[in-house]
Amino acid sequence: MATIQLTNVSKEFRLARDKRVLALSAMDLTIAEGEFIALLGPSGCGKSTILHLVAGLDEPSTGTVLVDGLPPKDLQAKQQLGIAFQEHALLPWRTVEANLELPFQIAGRTPDRAHIAGLIELVGLKGFETARPSQLSGGMRQRASIARALCLDPKLLLLDEPFGALDAVTRRFMNLELQRIWQQKRITTILVTHTVEEAIFLADRVLVMSGRPGRILREVTVPFPRPRTVETMRLEAFHHLVDNLTLSLEPSD
Amino acid sequence: MTNRLQQLAYRLLGLLLLLALWQLAGKRHLGGKTLPAFTDVASVFTVNFRRALLLRSAIATSTSAGLGLLLGATLGCLTALTAQLLPALSPGLNRLAVVVNALPSIALGPVLIITAGRQATPILLAAIPVFFLLYVAATSGLHSADSRLTQLFTATGATRFQRLRYLDTPSAIPALLSGLKLGVTTAMIGAVVGEWFGAPTGLGIVILNTMQNFQIPLMWAAVLVVATISLTAYGLIGVLERSVERRRA
Repeated sequence: MATIQLTNVSKEFRLARDKRVLALSAMDLTIAEGEFIALLGPSGCGKSTILHLVAGLDEPSTGTVLVDGLPPKDLQAKQQLGIAFQEHALLPWRTVEANLELPFQIAGRTPDRAHIAGLIELVGLKGFETARPSQLSGGMRQRASIARALCLDPKLLLLDEPFGALDAVTRRFMNLELQRIWQQKRITTILVTHTVEEAIFLADRVLVMSGRPGRILREVTVPFPRPRTVETMRLEAFHHLVDNLTLSLEPSD
Repeated sequence: MTNRLQQLAYRLLGLLLLLALWQLAGKRHLGGKTLPAFTDVASVFTVNFRRALLLRSAIATSTSAGLGLLLGATLGCLTALTAQLLPALSPGLNRLAVVVNALPSIALGPVLIITAGRQATPILLAAIPVFFLLYVAATSGLHSADSRLTQLFTATGATRFQRLRYLDTPSAIPALLSGLKLGVTTAMIGAVVGEWFGAPTGLGIVILNTMQNFQIPLMWAAVLVVATISLTAYGLIGVLERSVERRRA
């Protein structure tokens, strides 16, 4: 498992010759081994930027990003990064099974059939091994892409609004499923979301972000013990926390 | 289903209408002596030795067009793959492709006859425009992968070659099929034009000879065969294209 250390990180994007936008400003963040972190904020607040920096898909303008004391590129090269996006990140010409073989092929390893079968079962896709993405529902596609992210037993799991395209009922169900899967693996996880309930239900710690420039407004340690259930979501304290965080997301000007 | 039947009916109706107009124009001599009626052209195919000539020529022209298509498509794809693996070469290869495409085949024909020979000229004149078409199609196809997938490959540490193999090339297949679909008709044109410069056999030769000997129905019959081959190949690749699209949708 991995620890993540962001020190004085800022990220500036150039839009035009003399127009720049500061996506992140002087961000300090430490994520402990085996911790589940949710980055919560409105769209455009830089939460996906953090994820891209940790994944090594982008370089910070200032500051350093370290995963286990090493730059993210090292983690990439060792294939120790699991990543799942909002949608469309499965190879459309491959079956579920073949999509799960991809991480092995990139790592130059023989696909571990038993491991793949186990993951397919873990995410509840048994019986759909030979289906192509176009034959699956949105929720099933997300299950497949989470299973693929777990294929090589990554040290770090990055989830970029993985359920953002799903309806509310499916999303809640997928939250329960993700918790079940995560409890078996306990991988250091960063979840980017704009849904307050999802962040509180899944994370050990919720970081509420504000936009332009992105910075952390609040940090909340979620008090509810695991496994959290549908009953947890009905607790008064849960609702209270949801209201509380929703309020701090509202623009205050 | 009814929708598809309706479409098919419209297509047949359109074809029949076209043939009827052709028939009318031919019988009334609206197009002068060089436009015979459709039935006069069709009757060419009932004469045994004419049919044999057309078949033999069709095989020769199709072979030239097919080989040209294969050669042009292979070179086009290989060039595009090279540009993808070595991006530094890409601007130069783009310019080379544009220059190759800018050469008019009519001007090139005599040069090829002298340098490559009568047999090879139709193949080469078919291959040149196909090369350009497939280079453009493959280049845009290789860049068509979804950005999330590209990020996924980067984040999981894929090498450039792995990306090309597992992501870019499969992503390019629909674009390649579209290019190939346009390529078959272009290759037929190239082969026929190439034969005009003096190939031993072929539909281009039949068209040229019949024009000079005023065998108008036979000339039209040869043109009809060229069009039929082109359209059939175009249709077959279209079917393949749609089945690939369906699998991925």
